[in-house]
Amino acid sequence: MLFEKPSLTDTVLVADDDPIFRHVLQSCLEKWNYRVVAVENGAEAWKILEQPDAPHLAILDWMMPGLDGLELCRKLRHRKEGAYRYVVLVTAKDNIQDIVAGLEAGADDYLTKPFDVDELRARVRAGSRILQLQDALLQAHEKLQFEAAHDGLTGIWNRRAILDLLKKEVERHHRNGEPLGIVMADVDHFKRINDTYGHPAGDTVLLEVVARIIKSMRRYDFVGRYGGEEFLAVVPGCDAADLMASAERIRASIAMHAIDTDAGQLSITLSLGVVSMQANSIFDYESVLHAADAALYRAKANGRNRVEVATSLFAARAGSA
Amino acid sequence: MTANDLVEVWRRDEALDRVGGDENLLEELCQIFLSSYPGVMEKLREAVMVGNSLGVQQAAHSLKGELSYLSAMQATNIARSMEDMGRAGDLSCAVSSLNALEQSLALLRLALDKSTGVH
Repeated sequence: MLFEKPSLTDTVLVADDDPIFRHVLQSCLEKWNYRVVAVENGAEAWKILEQPDAPHLAILDWMMPGLDGLELCRKLRHRKEGAYRYVVLVTAKDNIQDIVAGLEAGADDYLTKPFDVDELRARVRAGSRILQLQDALLQAHEKLQFEAAHDGLTGIWNRRAILDLLKKEVERHHRNGEPLGIVMADVDHFKRINDTYGHPAGDTVLLEVVARIIKSMRRYDFVGRYGGEEFLAVVPGCDAADLMASAERIRASIAMHAIDTDAGQLSITLSLGVVSMQANSIFDYESVLHAADAALYRAKANGRNRVEVATSLFAARAGSA
Repeated sequence: MTANDLVEVWRRDEALDRVGGDENLLEELCQIFLSSYPGVMEKLREAVMVGNSLGVQQAAHSLKGELSYLSAMQATNIARSMEDMGRAGDLSCAVSSLNALEQSLALLRLALDKSTGVH
């Protein structure tokens, strides 16, 4: 059974102390598939407009007792935060100075009473267009922000973002003393895999490695792509034993099950360097990275497909305070 | 008899046109007007009686808006002039205008009742 959703595109706030105009506006707008919130005065209109989820379109009568349409415009434009509200001011005033005053106060458009419903529709449509444009821009902006901080292939944090997160977690660790873990992982012989089986297969391997790493971690751990085949996980609030267990779990999940690629099933292994910072450590984020790197190097040197824990951290000097 | 008496009480076609030809909507508006205008007239009468210019201006403005929307030309003109009186603070002719308005509204009421099929 098909259920058709009504095409409610926008919600409109209507504020007019006159019942006839409230009715005309509400009736027409609803006929045109807008959802309408109708109020009788400016104070009620403001209560609604200052909410973050207020309608983005507002049709306000100029002459209302108390807070009038003009004043509402001013208050609305004075408030810088929140999405843009498109305001049509309805006025019985029909001389140019008053109209100019309305537009200067921040109205986007105006309608003079007695208005024609066709004109109302056209002006509301224009407002909808502007708001849709704003929505598109906001979405594009969000997309760009996401892309700036995330790796294009795997979708996890990119290098700059994961290092930023590490820095913040190290600072937090120094502030509240909770343990902090870092896992640096590197796909063994990755260049050989790319050269032998091709880059598409290499990409598949990376994607699967990331998927398995994420599965082995908690939802609030951070995983980022540190280099071409290198990953960095930031693990807050995890003690040394659990951290080791996580790292080992990751290593095993990669080593024990081959990865399906278009070049066939590939046996992949990971080398991992682990750093566990306990309470009251005074080491800065560069020392931490350096220690993780050293541990990873040791894992490679000791035969790969293994986890090594940083010990040099405890012997390292404290970084700059 | 003034020039305004010759102006139409109600231009129904014009009002219908304004609401995009929606007969139902027009009828609903007429009903709303018929039930709400007595209250506004009460405010206007009181303001005239006590010489409250601002009150006259506001009530007349309100009526003018509704009447012009319904294309009740005759009453609209009177309401507009009463609004001007209130704004100017000169209520010397307010009482006679008020009477003219009452008469015009009575005629309008007849026209609206006939149109909306009120029994």
